[in-house]
Amino acid sequence: MQVKNLAVRARLRSPWESIDLGIALARRYWWQLFIVWLLPAATLLTLCYWLFPESPMLSGLFIWWLKPVFDRLPLFMISRALFGSPVSVGTALRHFFSPNRRDWFLWLTLRRLSPTRSFDMPITVLEQSGGKARSSRIGVLHRKHSGAATWLTLTLYHIEIFLLAALSMLAFLFIPEQYAEGIEWMPLLQGDTLWLEWLYNALYLLIMAAVAPFYIVSGFCLYIGRRIELEGWDIEIQFRDFLERQQRERRARRRETPGTASLILLCSLALGTMLSAPPPANAETVDTPQQGQERIDEILAGEDFHQMKEISGWRKKEVDEVKEKFPQWLIDFIEWLIDFIEWLFERSPEDTESDSDFEWGPEIAKILELLFWLGLIGGLGYFGWKHREAILNSLQWHSSPKEQQAPPETLFGLDVRQSSLPADVCAEVMRLWASGDKRASLGLLYRATLSHLIEDFAFYFGDHLTEGECAQLVRARQLETEEELRPVSPTLSHFVQELTANWQQLAYAHRPPAEAQVSTLCSQWQEEFGNDR
Amino acid sequence: MLDTTYNVETPEGIDLRARAAGPVPRILAYAVDVFYRSLILAAIGLALLFAGVAGIGIWLVCAFLLEWFYPVFFEVLRRGQTPGKKAFGLMVVNDNLTPVSWGASFVRNLLRFADFMPFAYATGVISMALGRHFQRLGDLAAGTLVVYREEEKAPVALPDSTPLPPPQNLQQADQQALVSLLERHDDLSEARQRELANLLEPMTRKRDNEALAYLRSVGSWLLGGRG
Repeated sequence: MQVKNLAVRARLRSPWESIDLGIALARRYWWQLFIVWLLPAATLLTLCYWLFPESPMLSGLFIWWLKPVFDRLPLFMISRALFGSPVSVGTALRHFFSPNRRDWFLWLTLRRLSPTRSFDMPITVLEQSGGKARSSRIGVLHRKHSGAATWLTLTLYHIEIFLLAALSMLAFLFIPEQYAEGIEWMPLLQGDTLWLEWLYNALYLLIMAAVAPFYIVSGFCLYIGRRIELEGWDIEIQFRDFLERQQRERRARRRETPGTASLILLCSLALGTMLSAPPPANAETVDTPQQGQERIDEILAGEDFHQMKEISGWRKKEVDEVKEKFPQWLIDFIEWLIDFIEWLFERSPEDTESDSDFEWGPEIAKILELLFWLGLIGGLGYFGWKHREAILNSLQWHSSPKEQQAPPETLFGLDVRQSSLPADVCAEVMRLWASGDKRASLGLLYRATLSHLIEDFAFYFGDHLTEGECAQLVRARQLETEEELRPVSPTLSHFVQELTANWQQLAYAHRPPAEAQVSTLCSQWQEEFGNDR
Repeated sequence: MLDTTYNVETPEGIDLRARAAGPVPRILAYAVDVFYRSLILAAIGLALLFAGVAGIGIWLVCAFLLEWFYPVFFEVLRRGQTPGKKAFGLMVVNDNLTPVSWGASFVRNLLRFADFMPFAYATGVISMALGRHFQRLGDLAAGTLVVYREEEKAPVALPDSTPLPPPQNLQQADQQALVSLLERHDDLSEARQRELANLLEPMTRKRDNEALAYLRSVGSWLLGGRG
């Protein structure tokens, strides 16, 4: 398999587009695929007709059930055609059994009704994988395309049925009216006439053979589309193309060089003899083509060749404004309808008395009531299903331990990992304060507090909390302690409130606290957390 | 090279490209429309139950109008998309890719009758499967076409790389391939990306991670990044 020989354009496609491409490709090779599908199946059906003329239904079902067997040969053919080495119908038919060796039993039993049949078939037939390898492969391929593959199967199945109905309808339309009256329809429709059943089998066989190429090739193109997406075939083809072009150009240049060189030599010789002076060297000279190339690259990479200009301005655009409003006739019609209904209602009392004693009101009410209840039950069921996880969780009364949330590394843009703190926090705070960097100083203190609260007291501060809310959390634990968490003393809680207020004042209002306040906070911090280290 | 694109060149020499939509999504979109229409008809039927024989008459009129003018209404006033087409990202356009007009929409929808013959849109399906641009008879008569609507691409998160100027001789398609390699860094496996990068070894003179990093840098330059 050579990706560069691909007979279709490799580009990213949506699953639907891949199916469309399959339709277009199937159209191109339709005759061959049709014959290759039809011949084995028709042979088998003829055999059935000969052996069991009494059971047309079962024979038809038998052929239908064997579809995966007949699908493989066209798939093999189209894969060869797609990669640029088509096989003829005769050669393909001679190899009928070789693509059918692998996994045929599974395909005829467990996977016969698989809705993604044509999408999965290439994995068996072309990749020759089975068992675990196959299922993991399918898992990867199915991730985005299984929906479209299912719809493809469903749609084409219905098309088969509808085409059969359409053909019967067409035949019916051609029966002259005089005869049509005389035909006894019931026995025909009940399937008591053998020849008609066999005729239907033959017709259905033709339709299956006609639709099968589209189904197989569409599934195959879905598979190819997914692989283009997963393996970047489009990129590979483009890269190879680029290299080839470069090589061609280089070869062409090499072929040109001798000629040009001698020409230049000749010219300069002529000039030299005429002027009897060496030609002036205007440009920097380079010695080898390699250097020249490098020089060119260098210049092309320079500023001059990569200038971008953005021009913006206002221009008037000519747009026909289409005003969407209700056409007059519709308004007239609705007004007429309202008048009409009013007229009906004015008439209705006499009607109900005179016509019948059947009452409309209760009947409509019953239907509406039924609809209402159905809607309610449906709605409840829907919400129950949609929120089933939340409901199940709430029913378990915290029986499962809460998920351990990873402590955040930064809060309010401050690094709150303990490892980021200096060894002696207080000394560092006072030093920074003295050096005049008040923001960094108090920030460090606040950061150290948060860090200890998170790591020693197992507080969880989410990203969404503000400083004030963090302080409130601390106070909440002081007032009401949960069992497994370390309690918070009133002094600590007070300290946190105080520090938070000071930090907010400094951080947002640019009002630094007095130095005495800072040193008090420091000593309090030392009392609370100094022993933890 | 086989593809499903539909190209038009305007008199100004501008190439317009659309992606024609094939029978399968179109049939499914039609099924969605039929579903909506039946819902509306059922609702109207329930509402008209009390009106007796007149109700049946009104209902039949509504059914007629919905059958024939529901698509026309949406195609002309809602940018070529009935609700079903919208669900599948399809739209109807004239075959010069201009928005579909009243006349064309009428013709293509009235001719659904021809596509329906002899039963269940058999002619239409066959015509779509055989036609070059998946047109049914009504489309051919009205000069219209169903295409995929271009979706706005969501911005993708790109890996960090310092933009580097690209080598010369890159054509537009080559540049697109480089950008694509950068943009699909999450979808393609690492090994495959290195393999792709190694393909260009004669140009980059680098291998494996180094080559990949270089190509990504070039890609991010092409996307407008400047180091």
